[in-house]
Amino acid sequence: MSSATSYYASTLLVYLGVDIMACWSLNLQYGVAGIYNFAWVIFQAAGAYTAGVLTLGPASGNGGFQQYILGLRLPYPLPVLAAGVVAGVLALLVGLVTLRRLRTDYQAMVMLVISVIAVLVVENVIRLFNGPAGLSLIPQPLGSLPLTTLGYQWFYVVLTAATCTVIYVFVHRVTSSPLGRALRATRDNEDAAAALGKDVVRLRLFIFVFGGVIAGISGAVLVQFIGAWSPGSWAYVETLVVLTAIIVGGTGNNAGVMFGALLVPVAFNEATRFIPQFGRPGLVDALQWIIIGLLALIFLWFWPQGIIAERRRRFPERPRVVRSGEGT
Amino acid sequence: MSAEGLRREFGGVWAVTDATFTLRRGMITSLIGPNGAGKSTVVGIIGGAITPSAGRVICDGTDITRMPPHQRARIGLVRTYQLSSEFGKLTVLENLLVAAPGQRGEQIRTLIYGKRCWRRQEEGLLDRARFLLDRFAMSHQENEYAGNLSGGQKRLLEIMRALMCRPKLLLLDEPMAGVNPTLAQTIEGYLADLGREGLTMLLVEHELGLVERLSESVIVMAQGKVIATGSMPELRAHPEVLHAYLAG
Amino acid sequence: MTGSVFVQSIGFGLVTASILALASVGFTLQFGVSNILNLAYGDVMTACAFAGYAVNQVGGSIAESLAAGAGFGAVASVLLNRLVYRPFVRHGTKLFGMVVVSLAVGIIIQNIVLAAYGATFFSYSFPPGRQVHILGMIFDTFQLMIIGLAVAAMALVQLLLTRTRLGKAMRATAANPSLARASGVSTERIVDLAWLISGALCGLAGVVLVLNTSAFQSATGSGFLVVIVAAAVLGGVGQPAGAMLASLVLGVITEVAAGFISPSFKEVIAFGVLVVVLLFRPAGLFGQGSTVREVAA
Repeated sequence: MSSATSYYASTLLVYLGVDIMACWSLNLQYGVAGIYNFAWVIFQAAGAYTAGVLTLGPASGNGGFQQYILGLRLPYPLPVLAAGVVAGVLALLVGLVTLRRLRTDYQAMVMLVISVIAVLVVENVIRLFNGPAGLSLIPQPLGSLPLTTLGYQWFYVVLTAATCTVIYVFVHRVTSSPLGRALRATRDNEDAAAALGKDVVRLRLFIFVFGGVIAGISGAVLVQFIGAWSPGSWAYVETLVVLTAIIVGGTGNNAGVMFGALLVPVAFNEATRFIPQFGRPGLVDALQWIIIGLLALIFLWFWPQGIIAERRRRFPERPRVVRSGEGT
Repeated sequence: MSAEGLRREFGGVWAVTDATFTLRRGMITSLIGPNGAGKSTVVGIIGGAITPSAGRVICDGTDITRMPPHQRARIGLVRTYQLSSEFGKLTVLENLLVAAPGQRGEQIRTLIYGKRCWRRQEEGLLDRARFLLDRFAMSHQENEYAGNLSGGQKRLLEIMRALMCRPKLLLLDEPMAGVNPTLAQTIEGYLADLGREGLTMLLVEHELGLVERLSESVIVMAQGKVIATGSMPELRAHPEVLHAYLAG
Repeated sequence: MTGSVFVQSIGFGLVTASILALASVGFTLQFGVSNILNLAYGDVMTACAFAGYAVNQVGGSIAESLAAGAGFGAVASVLLNRLVYRPFVRHGTKLFGMVVVSLAVGIIIQNIVLAAYGATFFSYSFPPGRQVHILGMIFDTFQLMIIGLAVAAMALVQLLLTRTRLGKAMRATAANPSLARASGVSTERIVDLAWLISGALCGLAGVVLVLNTSAFQSATGSGFLVVIVAAAVLGGVGQPAGAMLASLVLGVITEVAAGFISPSFKEVIAFGVLVVVLLFRPAGLFGQGSTVREVAA
């Protein structure tokens, strides 16, 4: 393929990887545990900002046109790991406030409010993350390797894929274990689960933090690729895009969610790229959002379970042993 | 287990004014009485969902009055509910598996250690669950979503789920409510078997024929108090019991 | 910060509170009666503001713009519930699936407005009002009108809910739809009326909001949505009286904080107040922590 196509394809693959991780993260919280995390995007942003300020050099360098905290110029993969930790801590704080005492529908609304507070704080406290202008010129990890631009692109694809694989191991561990089962039970019938002795709040807090960590890592991977990050990238509607992806692909289901990641953020965004701009500037973007909204509605109507529905878990046959008195 | 002097009021109305009785190990006891006698409240108190305004609940010598429901489940005191409380999007088998208390696989360390830390226990639970399914003739429904079961099947699931906890005392709150007669007979048979095997049970029921067939001892409540205990024939001649049923 | 600035902040606070009250009472009515968290509310407000704008462009007066906004809001809201929300609920969408539905609808509406009008800023062109001095606060006549409108509307709503049969029927439907239905209340009609009234409030709030700001565009309403949700939650969702009180609290605190601390932080402070209150009273100021999960669309 031509180098332009190759460049484009590699970029797409990185975005796909990031979106897959994003979808797994929100799916753990929403699809498996039933938490309406409308503040999801702030965890991705926290990861992105953390990775950004840890990768960048001190703010006074580069002509000092950006203001931000830290600037430690740490080598890969430390910023990514730190991103996960910071996002996880943020999730813990948010979770402690929202998940413990509030009714579930209140939780959704408060998360929304928190999402907006976060944007406002970052935009107004400029010395944190350079306010509305955001961070830029973030150096790419391992940029000193002797690779061509195109070579580096594909290198980053491999890096992303590796990150995804590692994340997947842990995600799968949770979803295929009794822990995942207890969470799904909590989702289906919270009161019955509590009566059975499941610590609903602790379970939910755990999955919220775990999902947050993954979201943070996805942000780190993305920001180190693009090299820039600003409040425009994480308005609360971004959570909707990921939510649509999960709903379309199939909630509660890792494979379905991957499919959703492919279909909604990637395929859809890219498909509209090829539509020529017509009419007023911004008209096509507006239409694009209208279609995303309609897509969400259509899928919620016809496929409330998603395209790849949550699979029934079957258990392997075990050697049958006849026991007496068992079960009483 | 014994209940001593239980009292409970709701917003000024006394649902239970004096409930005192003892359940002997290995016996099936029934709790009967007209509507509004306070039976459900008593079961709620014993099960742990309701705290009594006064009185104590003692189980095997321990005062469990303040113990929360899931802890009672852990010491062997399990209750079934009138309304279905199955997990609709989990399969029947999963519903049973999730009911077992104290699962290692539900701890957060699963994240780090993976399957190793829970595989053994899970296999044991699988065996137990499948045994129960077999016994209650629901093996073929193993992989069916619990939400798709019929009302009677959900009731059986409820009982099986209680049994997964290896209860020492099983509280059954109107297990036959809304169940068709054929299935009710089947359930009655199962309960009788369980009783024969030595499971202690407290049954709240309206159908007196069932009560007579199943239970060795009967407690009668009316207007918030226990008014008589004994076997059915004894109670049939008891004037207060007759009065309560005729008047209430 | 001088005392006069403080007093003036309170004045601004009253205006903000008035706008917020109109909006949040409508919002909370919808939630109370239908159990639907209508995240498209802010965008409907924007659409109503544009309806008022269209009337203004052809020479309409304030009253006509307000009427246009209120009318458009009422009709749009009823249609929204009948054509989108109710079918989804009948179809089996659960409570929170509906939230996603409303979010999607909001985005659709916002972008239709964007596509129709473009991304530039707009403003109403009414002859400027006079300045009025009251109790050390300076208002212009528009602001006084807003406050007056809000007070009148709130009084009407309270009267409606507590004194009329319709109001009682609405509260019954909000508390327990199946019981209400069984008691002979035509819940469908009540719900339609509730959306009609709350839609009108939404429309008034939309026009009044943009009247008070110098310029508006397609995203103005949804930006305000979060404050509306905050007021509704703070007051206890589904409790119009609570929403009124919460609007007053939030409106005044926001503006006083803007005067004391910094204008850019005013919303942060308001939301902070919300979070803190919820920590202590999880159901909001007037909330009742009901466990009714039915949707009565």
